[in-house]
Amino acid sequence: MVRLQQDPFLNELTNMFERTTDKGSVWVTLKHSSDKSKVQRNKMKTYGEKIEYKCLVRATDGKKTISTVME
Amino acid sequence: MVYITSWDDFVEKSVQLFRADPEKTRYGMKYRHCDGKLVLKVTDDRECIKFKTDQAQDAKKMEKLNNIFFTLMARGPEADISEVSGKDQVEAQPAKKGRGRKQ
Repeated sequence: MVRLQQDPFLNELTNMFERTTDKGSVWVTLKHSSDKSKVQRNKMKTYGEKIEYKCLVRATDGKKTISTVME
Repeated sequence: MVYITSWDDFVEKSVQLFRADPEKTRYGMKYRHCDGKLVLKVTDDRECIKFKTDQAQDAKKMEKLNNIFFTLMARGPEADISEVSGKDQVEAQPAKKGRGRKQ
């Protein structure tokens, strides 16, 4: 799973769509995420720290997966 | 897997699902250009709703739903999405900005 910045992500996503015109699928998933592990989130909660959420976007063509975050 | 036929029902149910459990709910799309098919799925790992289409005109609707989810997921489940969808939301914030209420 490759984490990219927004522009490279968009470029790679476009490539994925181009590569799958004759055969194959592209999956894109959106998820509300803080990008932190459960342990970290629990710790932040007990210290009263505010957890910042982002939108996690993942895309795959079945072989390769790329992701990015949007704030 | 429950396929919903009405677009508006799908959107409303998706937003409801997300607001009820923002930690678990995710929105997925699968596109196959060779079949010209698009399937949208919203699930919180307990309930699942799907919408499928092969119509090019649904691309614009999907784009609006994408914007709704981007807003909800980046800003939080309480985010006001009425500017995004351009529709009155059922859970509209009370008396915000002096908007007149329909009697």
